[in-house]
Amino acid sequence: MVTYIIRRVLMAIPLLIGITIISFAIVKMAPGGPTALMMDPNIKPENREKFIQKYGLDQPVHVQYVKWLGNMAKGDFGTSLVRKGTPVGEMIMNRLPNTLLLMVVSTLLAVVISIPFGILSAARPYSKLDYSVTITSFLGLATPNFWLGLILIMFLSVNLGWFPTGGTHTLNEPFSIWNRIHHLMLPAFVLATADMAGLTRYTRTSMLEVLGQDYMRTARAKGFRQNKVIYKHGLRNGLIPVITIFGLMLPTFIGGSVIVEQVFAWPGIGKLFFDSAFQRDYPVIMALTVISAVFVVIGNLLADILYAVFDPRIEY
Amino acid sequence: MKFKKSLWLMLCLTIAMSLFLAACSGGNNAESPAEETPAEEKPEEEAPSGEPVVGGDIIVGSIGEPTLFNPYYSTDVPSSNIEGFIYNGLVTSNEKFETEMDLAESVDSSDDGLTHVVKLKQGIKFHDGEEVTADDVVFSFSIPLHEDYVGERGSSFEALESVTKIDDYTVEFKLSSVDVTFVPITLSFAVLPEHILKDVPMGDLGENEFNTKSPVGTGPFKFDSWADGEYVKVVANDDYYEGRPYLDSITYKIVPDQNALLAQFQAGDVDFITVPGTDLETAKAFPGIKIESGLGLSYTYLGFNQQQERFQDPKVRQALTHAINREEIVSAVMNGDGEVAHVPESPLSWAYNSDVPQFNYDPEQAKSLLAEAGWEDTDGDGWLDKDGEKFSFVMKTNQGNKIREDIVVVLQQQFKEVGIEATPEIVEWSAYIEQISAPNWDYDALVLGWSLATFPELSDIFHTNQREEGLNFVWYSNEEADKLMEQAKQTVDQEAYKELYGQIYKIIAEDQAYTFLYYPNVHRAMPENLNGYVFHAKSDFYDIHKWWFAEQE
Repeated sequence: MVTYIIRRVLMAIPLLIGITIISFAIVKMAPGGPTALMMDPNIKPENREKFIQKYGLDQPVHVQYVKWLGNMAKGDFGTSLVRKGTPVGEMIMNRLPNTLLLMVVSTLLAVVISIPFGILSAARPYSKLDYSVTITSFLGLATPNFWLGLILIMFLSVNLGWFPTGGTHTLNEPFSIWNRIHHLMLPAFVLATADMAGLTRYTRTSMLEVLGQDYMRTARAKGFRQNKVIYKHGLRNGLIPVITIFGLMLPTFIGGSVIVEQVFAWPGIGKLFFDSAFQRDYPVIMALTVISAVFVVIGNLLADILYAVFDPRIEY
Repeated sequence: MKFKKSLWLMLCLTIAMSLFLAACSGGNNAESPAEETPAEEKPEEEAPSGEPVVGGDIIVGSIGEPTLFNPYYSTDVPSSNIEGFIYNGLVTSNEKFETEMDLAESVDSSDDGLTHVVKLKQGIKFHDGEEVTADDVVFSFSIPLHEDYVGERGSSFEALESVTKIDDYTVEFKLSSVDVTFVPITLSFAVLPEHILKDVPMGDLGENEFNTKSPVGTGPFKFDSWADGEYVKVVANDDYYEGRPYLDSITYKIVPDQNALLAQFQAGDVDFITVPGTDLETAKAFPGIKIESGLGLSYTYLGFNQQQERFQDPKVRQALTHAINREEIVSAVMNGDGEVAHVPESPLSWAYNSDVPQFNYDPEQAKSLLAEAGWEDTDGDGWLDKDGEKFSFVMKTNQGNKIREDIVVVLQQQFKEVGIEATPEIVEWSAYIEQISAPNWDYDALVLGWSLATFPELSDIFHTNQREEGLNFVWYSNEEADKLMEQAKQTVDQEAYKELYGQIYKIIAEDQAYTFLYYPNVHRAMPENLNGYVFHAKSDFYDIHKWWFAEQE
C-alpha cells in the first residue's frame, strides 16, 4: 500500500510539469496581453519598454517559464502585473478562506441532502419517491448553476428581498454570524445543486447494485429486517464508489466555483481567476492554474487511496 | 405585479445572455477608448432642502476593481475614482471644465509660458497630520521625471524640465517647451506626502505598500480598508481644508457586472451607480431613487485603416459617412440617448466648434462620390468594385458593448444600400486593442470611442508623427492639421488656442479623419434624498465632500 502511494505520488510529478508547460504556453499564446490591456494609451514608448523589462516580459518564453517554475518551487508565485507589486501568494491567501468556506458548506449540504435521498431511492426503486428524486436530480444536473444563481438572485433577493444580492456580508454593519450565514446560503445552495444531483444518482445506482447482490439476498433470507439489511450490510459496500467521488470533486474547488463566485460577487479564488483572465494578469492566472492542477492530481490520488482503504478486496 | 414579473424574466434573460460578454467592458483606462453607456434624460431640478446634515454612509457600485491608489502609477477608472477621494492636486477643474485652484493658492505663469510659479495654501494637512509644503510638491512632480520611474504617466510630464522649491510654500516649474495642458492637466496630479515616501527607491515606488495598504493624502476622505475583491472604504477627514465632508464614509463596492450592479441597486445593496442607456427605463421604475443625466465627455467613432489605399482618399471617407444614417443610429440603437457627433470634441467644451463641414445621411451623394473615386458596380452583382476588386471590408468592435455590437450590424445594412459589403466582427477587449493598435494595425475599420480630457489636445490622436507608435492607429495624416496642432501646443492664450482648434476641427471634419458617430449621455442613479450632487460630465463623484443625505420621512 505504501509503495503504491509513493509510486502514485512520483507519477504525479511529470504530470504536473506537463500541465505547467501546457498552461504556460496557452496563457502566453492568448491574444492580447497586459501591456495592451492596462496601459494608458498615452504611455511613452520608453516607459512601456521599462515596464516590459522590469517584469521580464521581453525574455524568450522558455526563459520566462524556467524562471517562473524555479520561483514557484520556492513558493514564490511572483507579483501581480495589474495590482503592481502585490504578491500573488498574498492575493490568493486573501481569497482562499472565502472559497474554502463556500466549498465546505456546499459539499456538506450536498452530502447531507443527496446521500439519504439516494439510499431511499434505491431502497424503493421505481416508487413515486424514486421517480421524483430522479427527476429532481436530472433537473439539477441540467440546470447551469450560473443561470440558477441569477434566477434566485432576481427572485429571492431583488423581488422578495429575502436574501442579499451578493457579497460575504452587509457593508457598514457590525459583524454578525447570522449575517455571514445569510450571505452564504444562496451561493452554497447553488454550488451544491450540481454536486447534489450527481451524488444522488451515484448513491442510488451503487446501492441498487449492492442490494441485488447474492449476500444481500442471503441476509434477507436469514430473516433480517429490510432496514437492517440496507443500512448495516448494504450501506458500507454501496458507499465505497461514492467515496471515490469526493476525491474527484476536489478539483472543482477552483473550477466549479468560478461562475458561482462571479454571479454572487463572492470574493474567492474563482472570482480572482475570472478577473485575472480578463486582465491578462499572467502571474495570477498561472498560479491558480497550477494550484488547480495540483488539486486534480491530489484528488485522484485521494480517491484511489480512499478506495483502497474502504474496499478490502482491492490489493496492491 | 404583472409588469414586475415580465421585467424580472427579461432581466434574467439579459443577464444570462450577457454574463460572459459584459465582464470585460468596464474599468478601462480613463484616457483610453471609452466604454460608454449612453441614454437621455433631462437633469432634474435639485429639490429645495434645508441645511446639510452630517452623517450617513454611501455605497457606490463599480464593476471594476481598483488596482492601486497612486495616480502616478494607476490608470484605471476605479483607482482614479478612489484617488479622487483621498488626494488633491494643485488645481482641479469645475463642472464647466474651467481650471480652479485646489491645493494651490495661485499659479503665476510667465508670458512665454515656460515658467509657472505655484503658491500653496497654508495650513493644509495630510491625513497623518503633517502639513503640506513645497517639498511634497517637488517630490511628487519629480516622480515621473526620475530615470528609474516605471509608470505610464510620463507623457503628461514630457515638457516639464525641472521643479524647484522657492520657499516652504512656493514651487517653480520650468518647462522645456510650451505645453498648454500643463496647468489644467499636469498640475492636477496628486500631491503625495514626501515625509512618508522619500526613502523609497524610485524604481520600487510603484510597488510600495503605501499604494495598496496605507495611502495618505490631503483629500476629503481617508483610506480605511480594502477588502480584496469586495470593497474599498474611505472615511471622512475631519480636518479637510474645505471643511469636513458631510458623509461619514464612502464604500466603493465591487460588483461583478452591469446587470448585477442594477440588481444590487434595486435591492438597495448599493446606493449610487451609473446606468447604461439600455437599462434606463428599467432603473427609472425603481422607487426612492433619482437619476441625474447629461452629455458624457466622450464620443464614439468609426475609423478606417488609412494604411489601406482605398481609405486614403478623403472623398471615399466622406462618402462612407454620407452612407451612414447617424440620426437613426442614435434614435433606434440608442433610444435617442445621445447626440450625433461631427468633431472630436464635446459640445460641452469651451473649445467646441460646430461650424464644420457636415456629411449627413445621403446615400445618393455617397454613391456619386464613390463613383468619382472610381468605385462602380461594373459587373452588376450589386457590390461596388474598382480594378476588379470588390468594396468589401470588416468592421471590428469590442465584445461586451451592446450598443457598439448593434451599431456594426446597422452599419452593415446601411453600407449594403450603397453597394459596400461591410462585415461585423466582435473581438474580446484586450485582443481587440492589441489587434488594432501599433504595431499590428490588423483591421479594416473599427468602432471605438474616446473619452475626452477637460482640456482639448488632439496631437496624440491625429498628428502624423503618432502613427508609428502613438494613438493615431488609423494613420490619418494632414500636413496643415499637423502644423496647426503644433502651433496650438505653443499657444498659451486660451482664446487663440480655441481659434486654432476651431480650424483643426474643420480640417479633421472635412477630411473625415474618423466618421464621428455620436456623443453618448451618462446617467447616474442615486437615492432621492441625496443632496449636494452636481453633474460633472467627467467625474461621477464631483465635489463628493459636499454631498449629504436629507433625513427620510
